[in-house]
Amino acid sequence: MTTDLLQQAAASNQWAAIFPELSLGCLALLLLGLEMVLPKDNQRQIPLVALVGQAGILVGLLINFYTATLDTETFNSLLRHTHQGQVMRVFFLVASLLVTMLGMISLPKQKVPRVEFYHIVLVISAAMMLLAQSNHFVMLFVALETVTVGFYILVSYFRTSPFSLEAGLKYLVMGALSSGLLLFGIALLYGVAGNPALPGHTAEPMGFSGLHSFLATGANAHHFLAASGVLLVLAGIAFKIGAFPFQIWIPDVYQGAPTPVTAFLAVGSKAAGFAVLFNLLQVFSPCSWLLVPVITVMAAATILFGNFAALTQHNVKRLLGLSGVSHAGFLLLGVVASVTVPMAVGAVHFYLFAYLLASFAVFGVMAHVAGANDADQELDHYAGLAKTNPFLAAVLVIGLGSLAGIPPLAGFMGKLFIFVAAFKAGHYGLLGVAIVGVVVSIYYYFGWIKAAFFETPTASGDECQASRPQISVGLVARVVLTLLAMATVVLGFYQGPLGVWVALR
Amino acid sequence: MISVSLNAYLALSVILFALGFLGVLVRRNTIVIFMCLELMLVAATIAFVAFSCYNGTMDGNVFVFFILTVAAAEVAVGLAIIVALFRRRQTIQVDQLDSLKN
Repeated sequence: MTTDLLQQAAASNQWAAIFPELSLGCLALLLLGLEMVLPKDNQRQIPLVALVGQAGILVGLLINFYTATLDTETFNSLLRHTHQGQVMRVFFLVASLLVTMLGMISLPKQKVPRVEFYHIVLVISAAMMLLAQSNHFVMLFVALETVTVGFYILVSYFRTSPFSLEAGLKYLVMGALSSGLLLFGIALLYGVAGNPALPGHTAEPMGFSGLHSFLATGANAHHFLAASGVLLVLAGIAFKIGAFPFQIWIPDVYQGAPTPVTAFLAVGSKAAGFAVLFNLLQVFSPCSWLLVPVITVMAAATILFGNFAALTQHNVKRLLGLSGVSHAGFLLLGVVASVTVPMAVGAVHFYLFAYLLASFAVFGVMAHVAGANDADQELDHYAGLAKTNPFLAAVLVIGLGSLAGIPPLAGFMGKLFIFVAAFKAGHYGLLGVAIVGVVVSIYYYFGWIKAAFFETPTASGDECQASRPQISVGLVARVVLTLLAMATVVLGFYQGPLGVWVALR
Repeated sequence: MISVSLNAYLALSVILFALGFLGVLVRRNTIVIFMCLELMLVAATIAFVAFSCYNGTMDGNVFVFFILTVAAAEVAVGLAIIVALFRRRQTIQVDQLDSLKN
């Protein structure tokens, strides 16, 4: 390699373009440093440092939203900065802020080290932000594995609880399996796109643009190895978003994981999967003869499985996990529609934001109601919540109503946008399945609301209540939960700026 | 110099991958499952190196280093979880790890 080439490569390393990720990494290291130097009494301030630091980075990101590097490729085409990528960056930062907040509620109930939790959350968020902007399979793989390995640790974070460890092991086996599938898919695509015997072969078979131009040439999209590679990569991503038939790990892992981590998995990890899916769908667009039918079937099965399996659940974390599976199905519906109708991309992003607000409202309530055993959160524990704590009950109703898609909440508008996009794209059968799914989902969401409002604690419930300390809601948590609930209501009536902002391409 | 065709390498890679995949599905001991997962990664590595050699691009060879690093990180975290779980439950057989249920 000549010096010219090296200089060229170095010139494309625009460090300013990944400033938010770099500052998140530095903040994560700062937390560990603070833990070493601060005296024991002051260490409970460290989560606040994380909170303030992330808020600062979020403000910085919003101010510099339209940077000079928008719509360019940096780091020798490893990264590509797009408007959608910027939107997802904001999404992941908001999610990690809220996870930090949930951690401040949940962690003090356990005897575990605190600071490492926030550290890993920050590292995962930075990796997810890079993942959403990756433009090269090496970048994609490394960022995805940083997220996944971080989640292995977070899921088994309550290491004194056998439930948390068991969930961690199950997530580890399933996550590593999906990484293996993804990796083998990448290997096949790399091999076939660089094959000198094929027309349109490329010198950059790992880069997204090179691969796209290869697939678009001649009959390459129908090549057996290329099609298998595309399917294997899709399978690897489907594991992350919890789409049928790769959703088996969800109920167990969601139940065993600490509540803030469950929220992070449900919102952050799923959104990261969809961000990657959108990027890859553009790369694989010549293969849409194969992808559209596969994702259509996957979406229908995901919606049906998620909703019907959630009907019989009594543990609220499993219930939210399976309802999250059905939400992934609705989002997949938007993904299928986005192949022909460009507005579907904006619809999916709006849905993700509505899902984020509603999910964190519900998980915030769960983190307060949960007792010392984090895996044991039954519907019965919510009996009489409206009497003992009307504030939490009100937030719960708004969150669950939005998840169920009750007008006029944000979740309803999210579903409406996606359904309109699917209608425009002509996926009528899938739309019918989705509407059945929505109707079924109302049943189990309302079962939960019924428990909180109309049931009085039973005899066994009384014992549980007696063993539980009085729920007290701190000031920060109260403000954040109120904001989440208000945003959910306001976005239902008025989508204006957010709707326009996420739909810009 | 013995010449081995690309297809031979690919066949080996696919066989190893299939063995690993089936192993994850049917084996009951967590450590063995873990070995099968590593086998899948190694299968992908063989495919990368073979393709890299026959296509004349270096990307595949470089990717192998990333795979090795990631696999090492995965093993470090995974074995830690298995050890912690064994201390709690005195077992690592997957059919006995069924405390998470509805």
